[in-house]
Amino acid sequence: MNSPPEIPPGAEQMARSSLSDADLLLRHIGGDPHAFSEIVKRHRDRMWAVALRTLGDADEAADAVQDAFVSAYRKAKSFRGEAAVTTWLHRIVVNACLDRMRRKSIRPVADDELIEAAERDTPIPDHTSDREVSLEVTAALKLLPPDQRAALVLVDMMGYSVEDAAQVLQVPSGTVKSRCARGRAKLAPILSHLRNRTDLTRVSSAKGAKLRDG
Amino acid sequence: MTGDTHYDLETLAELAEGLLDATAAQSIRDHLAVCDPCGELLADLAAVREVLAATPTPAMPMGVALRIDQAIAAEAEKRSAEVPDDVPDGVPDWERVIAGAPWERAAEPSTSPSPEPEPEPAREPVRLGVVTDDGTIVPAKRRGTAARRRRWAIPAVASAAAASVVVGSLALYSNLTITGTTASPSATQVTQPNADIATAAVVPEESHLAATAYKVTATDFNYSDQDLRGSLSEYFAPAPIRGGGGDDDKLTRCVSKVAARAGKKPFQVDQGYYQGQEALVMLFWKDRTANKVQVRVLSPECETLRKPAQARWE
Repeated sequence: MNSPPEIPPGAEQMARSSLSDADLLLRHIGGDPHAFSEIVKRHRDRMWAVALRTLGDADEAADAVQDAFVSAYRKAKSFRGEAAVTTWLHRIVVNACLDRMRRKSIRPVADDELIEAAERDTPIPDHTSDREVSLEVTAALKLLPPDQRAALVLVDMMGYSVEDAAQVLQVPSGTVKSRCARGRAKLAPILSHLRNRTDLTRVSSAKGAKLRDG
Repeated sequence: MTGDTHYDLETLAELAEGLLDATAAQSIRDHLAVCDPCGELLADLAAVREVLAATPTPAMPMGVALRIDQAIAAEAEKRSAEVPDDVPDGVPDWERVIAGAPWERAAEPSTSPSPEPEPEPAREPVRLGVVTDDGTIVPAKRRGTAARRRRWAIPAVASAAAASVVVGSLALYSNLTITGTTASPSATQVTQPNADIATAAVVPEESHLAATAYKVTATDFNYSDQDLRGSLSEYFAPAPIRGGGGDDDKLTRCVSKVAARAGKKPFQVDQGYYQGQEALVMLFWKDRTANKVQVRVLSPECETLRKPAQARWE
């Protein structure tokens, strides 16, 4: 869509919001100073969710997402269109998160520690609120190695297909599956007490659908 | 396989994920049909997926979104100052950036040669200092032929204050390894190989120095550690002055941040390079009468690139 320069800013804005991610990125590379902001606006909540769940810390997540968007801004030219823009953005965000985790050299946790954590953290199931679930899940995810955590966040929390997650993580699908399997096996003893929450199924399907459909 | 043998969570998770071969999968399914504990474990695994999917993911907080908008705006500003097609990635062409700026147009054409990218001893500009009323030495605007002829001599009329500045600077300088060419030993205190000297002459031309807290210049000079140990005014003084340091929010923010850390404001800030990467070089007076400055080198993102170190101004 080629907007002539005399189009007023409002119309320009409208035209921009109807563009695809790829077109916006092209415009950004071509020098449109507002195209990238539109990309950020579209995807920031998702990127935030990925970073927050992967890192389990709001400050760290904010830094990671900011680094990722700035880095995406700079290296937009290196985007070759071999993947969707969203995949590319996810990849940059996830890598920013993994870098942060590795820099802090978070050690993997031994199995007995996991079981201890499970026993210590078991609250009375019926009184667990959403917020408490969220905190528990965050704490539990932190016990996993970064690779497993990233895979579970993308597949189980964000609802992406194994294939999409594999593209983001740049590993074969089988690797994503086995990381998810090992991660779930470690989380099972910790989170099993949440299994019988009555509203679980309802919440999960509604939210899962929303996430998948964007 | 039935009876006493059970499966661990990891194997069951692999089964659920379809990672096992057909034979192994079948024998586990046979076992699951008759083993309640293993069935429970499998249900636990399914619950993990449910719990993870049900965990609410809040939207990005407004504060974070604003921060990112600002970071992107700063990038956009940086980019708009660059000429994307004929410069290597990430290296702004300062010549062109400043080409249309008022201070460039105002300057006489003959007095604005581009700063040398690599210092060559033979062409190194003569450092010309001027002594202000309070006895401190500030850089004169440009080198001149008169100064060049007088390079080794301190005029007899030099004030005591100026002399002490020179001596102070030489004491520092003598600790350095110099790889210059013609180390002509002349007067007792003058041992600089590259022939630069603070020339005393009362020229109150630099009155604008006091007007702003610090000067911002934009040379594209690629500083090395060696350069930053020596006398710095020659790099900073001839460069076009980029206004008073209030016109670039990012830079101003960085300066205040560093100033807070240093406990004082810089008197001179240059946008250039440090060992090949974009950098802000900030100079703080350590002891103005003794000609000592502290040099701090920061990335455009305001990260410290090297430890603060001492150098001389003249």
